[in-house]
Amino acid sequence: MGAPLDLFAAASSEGAWTVSEVTRRARAVIEAGLPPLWVRGEVTGFKAWRSGHWYFSLRDKFSQIRCVMFRDDNRRLPSPPPEGTEVFAFARPGVYEAKGEFSLTVKELLSTEQGGLWKLAFEKAKAALLKDGLLDPARKRRLPPFPRRIAVVTSPDGAALRDIEAIITRRWPIAELVLVAAKVQGEGAEASVCAALARLGKGKLDVDLAIVGRGGGSAEDLWTFNSERVARAVAAVPVPVISAVGHETDVTLCDLVADLRAATPSAAAEAATPDRVDVLAFLGQLGERLARGLSQRAQRTVDRLDRTGDRLAGAMQFRLEQSRALLTAHSARLDALSPLKVLARGYAVARDEKGRVLKQVKQLPAGRDFKLRVTDGEVDARVR
Amino acid sequence: MPEFGEQLERLEAIVRKLEAEELDLDEALKLFEEGIERLRAAREQLTQAEGKVKKALKGDSSGR
Repeated sequence: MGAPLDLFAAASSEGAWTVSEVTRRARAVIEAGLPPLWVRGEVTGFKAWRSGHWYFSLRDKFSQIRCVMFRDDNRRLPSPPPEGTEVFAFARPGVYEAKGEFSLTVKELLSTEQGGLWKLAFEKAKAALLKDGLLDPARKRRLPPFPRRIAVVTSPDGAALRDIEAIITRRWPIAELVLVAAKVQGEGAEASVCAALARLGKGKLDVDLAIVGRGGGSAEDLWTFNSERVARAVAAVPVPVISAVGHETDVTLCDLVADLRAATPSAAAEAATPDRVDVLAFLGQLGERLARGLSQRAQRTVDRLDRTGDRLAGAMQFRLEQSRALLTAHSARLDALSPLKVLARGYAVARDEKGRVLKQVKQLPAGRDFKLRVTDGEVDARVR
Repeated sequence: MPEFGEQLERLEAIVRKLEAEELDLDEALKLFEEGIERLRAAREQLTQAEGKVKKALKGDSSGR
């Protein structure tokens, strides 16, 4: 037995509380008694409405609470929490008066697993990409050594574009840059980047290389490049893609799928192009090789001519020696026939002053002067 | 004007051919002349080019 039931306690003037009065009172009591707090529980019955608001329950072994997370709060999250994930929710307890329902208005949501929801969503998307072979190193395409037209998918007024433009102007000015503008952060960025990447496949742009990226940013700002949709759009680009998301430490999904990851947009521009100075030096070398090639070819002709000349000279020499031997033989025979030989045997020839040979007695009257040729010379003589 | 990459590829092929093959002197001379011409054109391309950003497309279709 307790105190008698006070039928009129806290009653309104009409004698009973209205539903609204009760719910309003309950809400006031709860909001006063339960300040915003961290709640730990398992996500169940998740539903994302077209409005962008999320509805779900958190439960443990014995109880569950309805939760709402409004669009402005859930927008920063990488993905909805998968069913059954254990999470920490920072929430404001309250009563939804229209339904008289006790609920939590969730402001923040973290996975209890290492790294939270971000990590979870990243790993999930990564696994999906891996399964589809998009992370296969064999997929990586070689960058064109001398790019002709480079598409840059980024914000038209970001630092990334200026950096890329400055470096390519210095290193490889014969390339044309084609800006394909995209919103790289905030609401709609994912769709915008995907649409820009899809344009690259349309052929009209006629590019042979693409750089997609942005300058540095917070982890949340980089989320666009951790979207599975963007990663798949990168993989679908028909030309090699350099990812330049401008974050030294975090590797994004976009980085993993791209043909090359650059830490910054500047590094991407460096990787995309050869340096004009180096190429000019290489051209110089080619010029030297060209000249040497020709001169060596010409030298071979000269050498061949020389060799031919040598053979000719050799042949001439042989003929000359042959002739010389012949000459010697002939001259020996000639020598044998020579009148000088006769003289050598003791004969002498008498000739007059004009050189006529005096062969008969009548040509040699007494007192006649004549010349007598003997083997080693001539002497003057007179007939007695 | 041919694309720079193609230009350079042809130039390298000419040099290799000239260095390696036993060509007619006539043919060698022709290749040499072609090589010199391509070299000149490639140098000119590199030294006269102006880097330019072609803003080929506007922002995304959502208009933001």
